[in-house]
Amino acid sequence: MKVIIVGAGEVGFHIASHLARENKNVVVIDKDPAAIRRVSDNIDVQVVIGSGSSPVILKEAGIKEAEILVAVTDSDDTNLGACMVSDLISPATKKLCRIRYADYDEYHEAFREHAPHIDTIINPEIEVVKKIFRLMSVPGAVEVGDFADGRLVFIGIYIDESAKLSGVRLSDIYAKTGKQSPLIAAVVRDEELIIPRGKHRLKAGDLIYFISEKEKLIESLSLFDKNVEPIGRVMIVGGGSIGFRLASLLEENSISTKIIEKNPDRCAELAEKLNKAVVLHGDGSDQELLREENIQDMDVVVTLTNDEETNILTSLLAKRMGASKIITKVSKFSYIPLISMIGLEQVVSPRLSAINTILQHIRVGKVLAAKSIIDEQAEVMEAVALETSDIVGKPIREISIPKGALVTGIMRQDTIIIPTGESVIEPNDRIIIFAKKQAIPEVEKILAVKLEFF
Amino acid sequence: MRWSFILNIIGMLIIFLGICMIFPLFFGLYFKDQSIIPLAQSMGITIGSGLSLVLCFRRTKVEHISHREGIAIVAIGWTAIGFFGAFPFYLGAEFNTFVDAFFESVSGFTTTGSSILTNIEAVSKGLLFWRSFIQWLGGMGIIVLSVAILPFLGVGGMQLYKAEVPSPVPDKLKPRIRDTATVLWKVYALISLAQVLLLMIGGMNLYDALCHAFTTMPTGGFSTRNASIAHFDSVYFDTVIIIFMLMAGINFSLHYQFLRGKPLAFWRDSECRFFLGSVLILIFIVTLNIYGTVYETMGQAFRYGAFQVVSIVTTTGYATADYELWPAMSQLILLLCMFLGASAGSTGGGMKCLRVMLALKFCYKELFSLIHPRAVRHIKIGGVSVHEDVVRSVLGFMGLYVGLFAFSSVLIASMGVDLVTSVASVAATIGNIGPGLGMVGPTDNFAHIPYLGKWVLIWCMLLGRLEIYTVIILFVPEFWRK
Repeated sequence: MKVIIVGAGEVGFHIASHLARENKNVVVIDKDPAAIRRVSDNIDVQVVIGSGSSPVILKEAGIKEAEILVAVTDSDDTNLGACMVSDLISPATKKLCRIRYADYDEYHEAFREHAPHIDTIINPEIEVVKKIFRLMSVPGAVEVGDFADGRLVFIGIYIDESAKLSGVRLSDIYAKTGKQSPLIAAVVRDEELIIPRGKHRLKAGDLIYFISEKEKLIESLSLFDKNVEPIGRVMIVGGGSIGFRLASLLEENSISTKIIEKNPDRCAELAEKLNKAVVLHGDGSDQELLREENIQDMDVVVTLTNDEETNILTSLLAKRMGASKIITKVSKFSYIPLISMIGLEQVVSPRLSAINTILQHIRVGKVLAAKSIIDEQAEVMEAVALETSDIVGKPIREISIPKGALVTGIMRQDTIIIPTGESVIEPNDRIIIFAKKQAIPEVEKILAVKLEFF
Repeated sequence: MRWSFILNIIGMLIIFLGICMIFPLFFGLYFKDQSIIPLAQSMGITIGSGLSLVLCFRRTKVEHISHREGIAIVAIGWTAIGFFGAFPFYLGAEFNTFVDAFFESVSGFTTTGSSILTNIEAVSKGLLFWRSFIQWLGGMGIIVLSVAILPFLGVGGMQLYKAEVPSPVPDKLKPRIRDTATVLWKVYALISLAQVLLLMIGGMNLYDALCHAFTTMPTGGFSTRNASIAHFDSVYFDTVIIIFMLMAGINFSLHYQFLRGKPLAFWRDSECRFFLGSVLILIFIVTLNIYGTVYETMGQAFRYGAFQVVSIVTTTGYATADYELWPAMSQLILLLCMFLGASAGSTGGGMKCLRVMLALKFCYKELFSLIHPRAVRHIKIGGVSVHEDVVRSVLGFMGLYVGLFAFSSVLIASMGVDLVTSVASVAATIGNIGPGLGMVGPTDNFAHIPYLGKWVLIWCMLLGRLEIYTVIILFVPEFWRK
């Protein structure tokens, strides 16, 4: 499969390296020779120097044979231009486009139906706001993903010292608590990812990932001693476009919100657009201001300024001053693994969100959703079991599921099955698969339609 | 630097080399000559050594080969391959000392074509096939071949590729390095096959046709005959070989484009035009120079002049005439051709046309800016500006090339070799040509070069084949610092 990526920035770079690792044919276009050199020195892809919206350059990159075009430069105009040109030259190519400017929000549908025919518009800001909102609603979660139209949730949480299940074997959970435990798909211990079996014990400090039905989520969380408390008060530090989008969403949900912004003009603008939220002019790292505004009573503090370091430091400050839950926006990938080490567990990254959205559209077979987790070490995919694929019609134990992959949920019409070795996947079931990155190409193979069918 | 990892990969390469020895062994068995035992022994030694390296240094899971490790693998790998490739020659008792066998083997893999042998026709057929076959392996790059064939190299294949096929402006034909390597080898094998067929149509037997195609396409220059191509004395063979030498001297990505249905690819490429243009001009000058002084007729002068110019400028090194009998001007032109070399991305050696073109344009730009001090001017190749970093690295390369040439020829001269021979032997080995002038001319061989001198020339051949940087960087202390 051939994929053309326009833009060799952080997002383009990471999508390229992700796909190259899976042996896909990738061509990266950027007009900055330094960015291109970084790509060609590190990743096994073809590179073209030039503007991604130029028909000559796109032809040179082989747009006609490309199945997917991913436009992720920093400029919305270039991204739209690239999609427009490729729509003219090669209408069959699927187009994914990153558009960040809020003024385009209303036109997303129009872009899909009319001229550039963009198949998917990625707005990382909208994705990030959605993710922050999901993280707020699940206590203790470091990762929340919706699958099966939101009926299944994929959750990542840390096991606390005091949790009653710490030190318990997975197979003994039922005996100990009298409740059915959700299927634990992965455990991260000492930065290593394990797919656990019944004999594994949970330990304090483990990061576990599990799948749960939405209705049973509260019950499942209480099993791990995470109790849902309603969110009443939120403080947002940084009134940029993500901050504003989040504040409006919180307003709609009648949550009392305070938003701190440094720039007085921006404050005036926010005050004009927002109705109930309290807009505060000041620096998020100003202790006096935070204390005055009762940071210790906040249910959630979200740091969303455009400066990475300020976000991290403000979050640490808020944590020290007693805020119970803190969400930090971090864009630099190299910082993400460090964040949990310094005690900030909940992180959002617009770039990572963009990558996740793009990935789900690149997966072959009938993949409906895909989500990359744990620093891209693994992926969760939701797919339709095709009638002619290898996985249908026999008990799971007989399917040659690749090593490092696990079927974690089956949805048949309205019922949700947490699978065991005996479960049988039927055609058109929607299945949720968890896979380590080494196993992804194999998983794609078993999900795909067998060739001899044609 | 993860040494166990590097040695493990080198072990794999050595095993691969050992397996390649099966082909000369077939010929040995077919002709029932005395090469069977030395070849079988060498195969055992090579595969055994490779296996023990692989087993001693278990490969840890590696996802990325660093730039430095890539260089180390290629530079050390090539030395090791030259070393093990020498065993059939040494055990075959054709050579007195191991360094002679090592010289012959490195001369083969680097596609130089300088030989120690005084009487080539006395050597068994199996060994002569090995001698030609290693040129074919080395021409497109044995590591590129293993990147194409061996899946485990896929992860870091790119670093290895860049170290083995250095090019001023790297071009990747396919998004993935493995596919690029495979495509290049396929094109290479296809053209070689075409040459085998054409030579056989002209009446050569299969064995000679294979051996000569295997040394034409990599611009190697080993022949199975004492008198080289002059032995066949046929206008047809001369013409076929001239055409294929020229093809081998052209960037292989152009051949690929041509085969993909772009017939104008050669014409559109400015380096290719420069290369073919210079060849034509040089043939013209040499023909005029030797017409009347050496050859009676224009036809003869053109036939021998064209063959020799093409043979030297593509760095092949075949001979149809003893050009040492030609006037000094022609000899000097041939000597300068050794520095020009073929196109970048071809199997030829030398400094490469693209670099010479860039350097000439750079000089012109300097002159131009003396006249127009405020002019903004870019160096362009084929209408595209060349980045300053590239120009700088090309000038650095040429500086190093000339510097190392000077240094090595002084070393050779210090061992008591005469002036012409010292200069020509270094120029012929660092440019991977083969025969030089003086005592190492087209009718002579390298057997009489002093013992240490042979080591110097071996070093020059490796420098030339891996285009200086990959080898010389191992001698920079900074490379070894953690």
